[in-house]
Amino acid sequence: MMWETAILIGLLFGAACFLILQASFVRILFGFILLSNAANLFVLAMSGRPDGKSAPIVGVAGAAPVDPLPQALILTAIVIGFGVIAYLVILLYRTFLDQRTASARELFDPARERPEEEQA
Amino acid sequence: MNPATLMILPVALPLVTAVVALMGRRPAAWRRWFTGGSALLQVVVAFALASTAWHGGPQVLAIGGWAAPYGIVLVGDLLAGIMLVLGAVTALASLLYGFAELPVGDEHPLRLPLVQFLVTGINLAFCTADLFNLFVAFEVMLISSYALLTLEADDWDIKQAFPYMALNLVGSTLFLVAAGLAYGLFGSLNFAAIAERSTALAGTPQLTVLALLLFTVFGMKAGLFPLFYWLPNSYPILPSPVAALYAGMLTKVGVYVLLRIFGQVLPPDLPLIHTLMMWLAAATMIFGVLGAVSRNFIRGILSFHILSQIGYMVLAIGLFTPYAIAAAIFYIIHHIIVKSTLFMVGGVVVVLNRSDDLTKTGRLWAVAPVLGVVFLLQALSLAGVPPLSGFWGKYMIVVEGLRQREWVLVGCALLAGVLTMFSMLKIWNGPFWHPEAAGGVHLADARWKPMTAVAGGMTLLSLGIGFGAEFFLRVAHEAARQVLDRGAYVTLLLGGGN
Repeated sequence: MMWETAILIGLLFGAACFLILQASFVRILFGFILLSNAANLFVLAMSGRPDGKSAPIVGVAGAAPVDPLPQALILTAIVIGFGVIAYLVILLYRTFLDQRTASARELFDPARERPEEEQA
Repeated sequence: MNPATLMILPVALPLVTAVVALMGRRPAAWRRWFTGGSALLQVVVAFALASTAWHGGPQVLAIGGWAAPYGIVLVGDLLAGIMLVLGAVTALASLLYGFAELPVGDEHPLRLPLVQFLVTGINLAFCTADLFNLFVAFEVMLISSYALLTLEADDWDIKQAFPYMALNLVGSTLFLVAAGLAYGLFGSLNFAAIAERSTALAGTPQLTVLALLLFTVFGMKAGLFPLFYWLPNSYPILPSPVAALYAGMLTKVGVYVLLRIFGQVLPPDLPLIHTLMMWLAAATMIFGVLGAVSRNFIRGILSFHILSQIGYMVLAIGLFTPYAIAAAIFYIIHHIIVKSTLFMVGGVVVVLNRSDDLTKTGRLWAVAPVLGVVFLLQALSLAGVPPLSGFWGKYMIVVEGLRQREWVLVGCALLAGVLTMFSMLKIWNGPFWHPEAAGGVHLADARWKPMTAVAGGMTLLSLGIGFGAEFFLRVAHEAARQVLDRGAYVTLLLGGGN
């Protein structure tokens, strides 16, 4: 299963990079969501192969438990990632309202300048 | 009280202050007194911690009594102490400066709480000895910094927040990946455990990959070439008190972590990374200072200067001798104070001339010579004129570079110094010497006096660092010694029997 996980993580990172480099705000947003999930999956993969191991619950006898620490780490990372993505949504929406464009290419067009009378 | 217990205060104090200030909801005089008092207390605590580490060596606090490597530990060595002192002093100065700049009613209700959350994150990053906890500290710091950046931005400035956020998001994701990789390699995220186990892996490709990932992440946060473009466009949109704090502290957190990770946690024999670090640092110096020369508004010039100065510090870390590490620490001490003062001077110019465009400002040397003296001292210090504080840092770095026979790198450092002087002269010729001011000079605006007073106080500190360089050098050498003493660090955190 190691190879499958590695390929999946690679695909997720690749797709995320492709989307982030697009001009459209919505694609950029999806790119960042994929990116944080790819990183979480990577950390999860660090707990090793789960085959033949029991869930890490105290008091349950049986096979050796799965290493629970990466799960705790990504739980924290998911919460943080969720907060940051929520902030990114609001930032992009406010940029859209203020600048009337949903394209990063248009937003950073050098011809697009602040109107002269506003430059106080 | 046990001195180690004090370690929690740099994190807990700003957090509690932020929450209380947040509950106040509206800006009010009591909120300012409360936050200011807390900031003063933070300065006292930081000095107490630094002096404990100076006299009694590093202190360890295991949170909740869970010992390393299982629990989270906070470590207060001299380097952390120095950074805490600098952070607390800069935060206090920027608060006072902000109080002088805006009347109580005009202040954004969220500014004070967010600044305190930012300080919480910064302080946690200085104290922690755990890679994942460091990630959390960075996120606390970054989320507050995104919020502060967009809080008071107008319809046009808002777009500069996007590259800042996008690059930092990518950086955070890579940081998480690096933390995962470190856990996979070492089975622990505690700095001491990594330091102990990584020596066996020295020279293996896994360790090189991890080191490269960490270097990318923290190089990006510090503003190293080629991933620095988020910085010089986003800092000028900040209100000047907050910009002073950002300029002083945020990128230096990246430099601090580079120092900690490469000096103490990862094995010292990573020649590839050290060479890469030095050359990227040289590129940062040159491109940063050229960017500064190309700008024509004060905060734009100063923002590019942050980058070029980061280059000096990272060059010193890349040279990687005990002397060079001490030079980096001294340079950080000098730089934080000088840089935030210069941003404060920029804010006063905006108040007096109603603009920070070099072509629209002028006459300030005639009407406000004190401000001119403050600017001149700090600008010359930044350029490295003896006996001001910047000279000693640059001198040490150049000496060490010559000892290592890195002629090209030393040449870059000296060239960047000359260009720094040139771009500082650009600012001098604009607001201070230009005979006409298009926006007029608003001397009746009484705010500029207390604002200049705060900047003047910071200048006195900076002069103190320059003239008392011997003491500060001894502190820097002791801090460098504590950082590089990996054996003592491992014993301190994990105990002798481990």
